[in-house]
Amino acid sequence: MSKKPYNSAPKREKKEYTGWHAVIRDPRVIVVAVLVILSLCAIFVPVGDRGDSLTNLQFGLDLEGGSWIQLEFLSEVVTVDDFTNIYDVATSVGKTLDCTVNVISKNQIEVQKKVSEEELKSAVEAAGAAFVSAEAGVGSETADSVKRILESKVNSLGTNDVKVNVLTNLNGVAQYVRVEMAGVDMNTAQEIVGSQGLFEIRIVTEGNNTEHVLFGDSVVAVQTPSKDMHGSWGVGFTLNDEGANALRDACIKYGATTNPNAHELQMYLDGELVYSAPLSAELAASITKTPVYSLSASTGTGDDAKQRAQELEVHLRAGALPVQVQIAGSGSTSAALGDYFKMVCIIAGLAALAAVAVAIYFRYRVAKIVLPMIATNIAEIIILLGIAVFIQQLDIASIAALIAVLGTGIDQLVIITDEVIHEGIVPSQALYMKRLKRALVIIMTSAATVVIALVPLVIMDLSTLKGFAIISILGVLIGVIITRPAYGKIIMEILSKTK
Amino acid sequence: MNIPKYDINKYNPKHMMLIPAALFAIALVIVLVSFITTGMPASPGIDFAGGTAVTIHTTDTKEEITAYYAGYDIKSIDEGIGSGSYYIKFGPMSNEEMMKFNEHTNARYPDANIDQIGANFGSTLQSQALIALLFAFIGMAVVVLIAFRKVIPAVTVVCAAIADITITAACMNIFGIELSLATTAALLMLIGYSVDSNILLTTKTLKRHGKLEDRVAGAFRTGIIMTTTTLCAIIAMFVVALIGQVPTLYTIAAVLIFGLISDIIFTWLFNAGVLKIYLEGHEGNKNKKQPPQQTPATKQNQQPKKKSKGAKQ
Repeated sequence: MSKKPYNSAPKREKKEYTGWHAVIRDPRVIVVAVLVILSLCAIFVPVGDRGDSLTNLQFGLDLEGGSWIQLEFLSEVVTVDDFTNIYDVATSVGKTLDCTVNVISKNQIEVQKKVSEEELKSAVEAAGAAFVSAEAGVGSETADSVKRILESKVNSLGTNDVKVNVLTNLNGVAQYVRVEMAGVDMNTAQEIVGSQGLFEIRIVTEGNNTEHVLFGDSVVAVQTPSKDMHGSWGVGFTLNDEGANALRDACIKYGATTNPNAHELQMYLDGELVYSAPLSAELAASITKTPVYSLSASTGTGDDAKQRAQELEVHLRAGALPVQVQIAGSGSTSAALGDYFKMVCIIAGLAALAAVAVAIYFRYRVAKIVLPMIATNIAEIIILLGIAVFIQQLDIASIAALIAVLGTGIDQLVIITDEVIHEGIVPSQALYMKRLKRALVIIMTSAATVVIALVPLVIMDLSTLKGFAIISILGVLIGVIITRPAYGKIIMEILSKTK
Repeated sequence: MNIPKYDINKYNPKHMMLIPAALFAIALVIVLVSFITTGMPASPGIDFAGGTAVTIHTTDTKEEITAYYAGYDIKSIDEGIGSGSYYIKFGPMSNEEMMKFNEHTNARYPDANIDQIGANFGSTLQSQALIALLFAFIGMAVVVLIAFRKVIPAVTVVCAAIADITITAACMNIFGIELSLATTAALLMLIGYSVDSNILLTTKTLKRHGKLEDRVAGAFRTGIIMTTTTLCAIIAMFVVALIGQVPTLYTIAAVLIFGLISDIIFTWLFNAGVLKIYLEGHEGNKNKKQPPQQTPATKQNQQPKKKSKGAKQ
């Protein structure tokens, strides 16, 4: 018996519609039917590129396979009193602590260095202002620029599914940035994101010896890899005044202009050699005359070279993260494990549905009540998934929420059923509506409680909990607003027919 | 009738209330001890305490795994039921150690699931989770007060939720389930669940006419069915997830199971007892409304939302 209800439920639902004209015409029932159809379309109709998956549902990293890294900013947001010139304070604190200090509001500065509260306090007081509080993090402008840079870093690698989110606390201070990359293993992910990436260009002086030319902060723009007319891949980049002059001075000083092959230019990221090549003949000629601002690093021909060019592009950009970061947390799931988890989740969901079906069958023993209940429950889940396609990726926690919603859904159908068939008497229309309304009041009160209890999780953006909360709230709302009133109508028609 | 053979009206309300009260007292002691030793109501997992956790599926034995991670600070190894899966916890590591650890793990267990949370991040999560819990309680209390507008029943519902969460947290301590982001979510969900059957009971007994005994018994019939159906769904999820070793899923399920069971005990022994005593005293002047206790401001804030209907009924 356990299997039968949900196997035959959708068909059954339809049959009931045609059996009772009143039900068909009821707007609540029509809305549910339309939403179920729309949701099924949203879930199954192939749109765009969805890889080899059968649905349009988006899955979290723990089901899809992939890695996430959460970075914390090694920076402090300091609040001072309102009575000082904040720009003077910023300049003075910057000098005292020897770091970049940005003004982010009329009483807040962003100190881009990890320093203790006492040091900050004394630096602020030395600047003639009163220290109010300090909090680890950055202002929104810096956070946005970190987000942009990280996005370009990961996107240029061709990883298709990347999310970069800045997590801001309730005081408006950005504390973390979270990067999620589907289909990327942890080490690759850390290589891309975790390292701050100190980019440096050095020049070979003699033998294996090199000399510093410039750092990544002199690189003001980086182009995407392109192929020149000879089919050779390369990455164009632009230097600022300081960088262009430093490069010209170094090339002339060490003789790269006269003997390019003996004095290659080398690019380092975090002390690791990522690229090395001699000046081209044309560049050697032109750089002797004037500083050159626009350069191109060539990586050769073929697919291999293309990939190297893409990596180089990321390296060139890597130097430009405006503030130091450190890994606060990370996690990864392999694609195989993700598939396995997905399977377990599907089995768990079906098992839960079957368990619910058996439980209410034992309670009511009447297919006329049990089948519409299960059908309503399935409709609720389908609509929930349909909406989730657009707004929420499903991770393991939100699957748990989905199954819990399945449970609460049935709970409330039980309340409605018991309320209307009170003491086994099928009521008149008027009395029925009164009872249905009463039942809905109980349901709404408890729904309001669930929503209120979970709203903080949505607002606070506590990683996985957000999905859990959104799915739970959504499930409760769909139930209360859409499916349960319709169920009330259906069950009434069924019961009066029985009579 | 396939409902449990429990006649809710057979017992003296004061006796009924003793069992849950005793349970709550024991739970409170356990939770307080945990609070003192760990700073959290149940022992914090890596989400809150920081650290590294690895989930692997392998044919290796526990000893082989221990040997493979010889140089690392292994905190614990949990084994799944019969499917060769392990959940291994390590102490905190630096960024560099972490990189090496990842490589080490991937070399032997390429399909491993690795999670790492820094101590700083953990404490941020911890404080945020506590704030979320606090807000959830306040929100719930406001909704319940507005819905009933009678202090004693509303306070009882809120207390039942607090007791429910406390007993669940104590069970987590006893069964070694850690407080993680997932289990925190489950605890928050319990606030909603525990209020569910309490609201049913309270609404049915406060707002219906007829004999008090009948009202309580009617509420019990519906309430026990609905909680057991939810329980069936969650138990099914728990069993599947435990066999399949999906820790997130089965820890959430376990927490919900504890919570639902303690909810049954609390609603139908304690809360039912309180309501019976309260109503037996008020039966005479039942229609005389007690003045609402909350300030007009809170009422106004909440009124536009949908549960304002609840207040009217």
